[in-house]
Amino acid sequence: MRDDAEHKADSAAAEVGARQCRDAAGVTLVEEFVANAEAVGCHVYRGTGPDIEGAGVSTALYGLADTGSVVLAAAPDEPRSRSLLPDVHVTMLAEDRILPGLDELFATLGADLPSALAIVTGPSRSADIEQKLAVGVHGPREVHVVLLPSA
Amino acid sequence: MAELAQPPRRFREIARVKLADAHIQTALDDSTDRLRTHRLHAWSDLPEVQELRQRAHEIRMSVIDDLDGHVERFTAALSARGGNVYFARTAEEASEYVANVCRRRGAKLAAKSKSMVSEEIGLNQALEAVGTQAIETDLGEYILQLAGEHPVHIVAPAIEKTAEDVAELLSAVRGKRIPPHLEELTNAARTQLRETFLNADVGITGVNFAVSETGSICLCTNEGNGRLVSSIPPVHVAIMGMERLVPTTADLAVLLKLLARSGTGQKLTVYTTLLTGPRRAGETDGPEELHVVILDNGRTNLLRGRYREMLACIRCGACLNVCPVYRKTGGAAYSDVYSGPMGAVLLPLLVGLQHAPSLPHASSLCGACTEACPVKIPLHELLLDLRRDLVAEGVASWAERVSFWLWSWAWSRPFGYRASTALARLGQPLAGLVGPGRAWARVRALPRLGRRYRDRR
Repeated sequence: MRDDAEHKADSAAAEVGARQCRDAAGVTLVEEFVANAEAVGCHVYRGTGPDIEGAGVSTALYGLADTGSVVLAAAPDEPRSRSLLPDVHVTMLAEDRILPGLDELFATLGADLPSALAIVTGPSRSADIEQKLAVGVHGPREVHVVLLPSA
Repeated sequence: MAELAQPPRRFREIARVKLADAHIQTALDDSTDRLRTHRLHAWSDLPEVQELRQRAHEIRMSVIDDLDGHVERFTAALSARGGNVYFARTAEEASEYVANVCRRRGAKLAAKSKSMVSEEIGLNQALEAVGTQAIETDLGEYILQLAGEHPVHIVAPAIEKTAEDVAELLSAVRGKRIPPHLEELTNAARTQLRETFLNADVGITGVNFAVSETGSICLCTNEGNGRLVSSIPPVHVAIMGMERLVPTTADLAVLLKLLARSGTGQKLTVYTTLLTGPRRAGETDGPEELHVVILDNGRTNLLRGRYREMLACIRCGACLNVCPVYRKTGGAAYSDVYSGPMGAVLLPLLVGLQHAPSLPHASSLCGACTEACPVKIPLHELLLDLRRDLVAEGVASWAERVSFWLWSWAWSRPFGYRASTALARLGQPLAGLVGPGRAWARVRALPRLGRRYRDRR
């Protein structure tokens, strides 16, 4: 017999997303996001970020745990170039805005999309010269993600 | 112009040159091996990969079943967002439209991000004719443009170039010697192309996918050039094959999960950009004008036949990396644009078998391409079907048709079969001395024929 509390916890987890339920090790979306973002070459901070001169600072609409991506939507106060032209890109991401992955992102966004939605997964890179990885080809060489804890 | 139709001996002649080049053989081995291994790792890290492939196949085929409807819905949705959509029946119509946009804007400089379709329609030459210089900004494509060459791989266009080659090409741009070190080469290209992004009057991109429900186009790049080209210049022109459409963003998610994993082994490309119309009120950057050119160029001819599955291709390049033929010849032998198994199927369909008669034969029919295809196109079966068409349409050579007719006549009769094996045993000592047997025997032993089938050694 399962008690009520346990049942409630289960359905709450189901609402957060299939991805989190499947995770037997109890890894949360935030932890998964951090691991994957670092794996693709992002620097991740919690609370306060670095103070880097000349960095472009953006606010991410969502984060994707599955891929370690930040999702940026163009808006009057979120110009595209801020995360594109400077050498260093710092982006602020609220922890409760981290979604499991692409499926949940598009389900959440619905059909009303911004003029430009950029799903950014790590710093700019290329392997066009002798198949060797070079970082910072046209876009930012460094991507810093600052996680803002939920209030 | 990048010529899709080709002389009959192109494949053989270029392949011979590439096979004799030790550097190119090493480069091909290394890069295709690396890309293939990365894909296999990425696929094995995704438990649901087989279901996703099936789902992706179904999504792509559902679009092909109702392609006109999808083009219509996409056009309506993007127009409602202020974008311009132009449907081009031919390569010429597409180039002309883009050239007209450039002429109207008085564009001197166009920044281009990687687009196979723009190669297919020979866009750069058309732009030159109206006084617009088009500069490729994908690092690999930029290198090739400087060298005056064409891409040899869908996702790794310049795999045949060494760091020394690249250093020489980049040094010539500013007349300043750049050492052949990866970091310095990358920095030099970054500096040279940054000016292009900032000064371009028009940005031109391809399209990886377009969503018919929302009127969005999706660009996948790693370097960031796709995002720059579609964000900084005042006009953005995107060119897409008409089969790039997917119904919804949920379907897009399925394909995005497969595209980068199959191409380079990444979960997603660094920049996956979804654009829905031009800059909106209050926004401080982004293009004022967005044009999407939807290209037919022979694609509707495929809709109703047994080759329609080829329209499902998402241009990931996975089939190239596993093909025993591509891995030796490289891409140039196939055409200036598409290559490998997908190219060997697509090119004859786009330009007609008589203009690409050797391509259906550029395969061992081993099926590795079919196994690697994320959207489950039966590539090797399509190649075999194309060979049948070569015979049926009378494109196959007289000698080929007669020998296969004789072979099938003899081997469908016990007497003929026995006679042929007896002759083969008699001729055995000569086999290593002439023709293909000689080439084979130079490095390996020929199989020995026994009296009966089971006695073969």
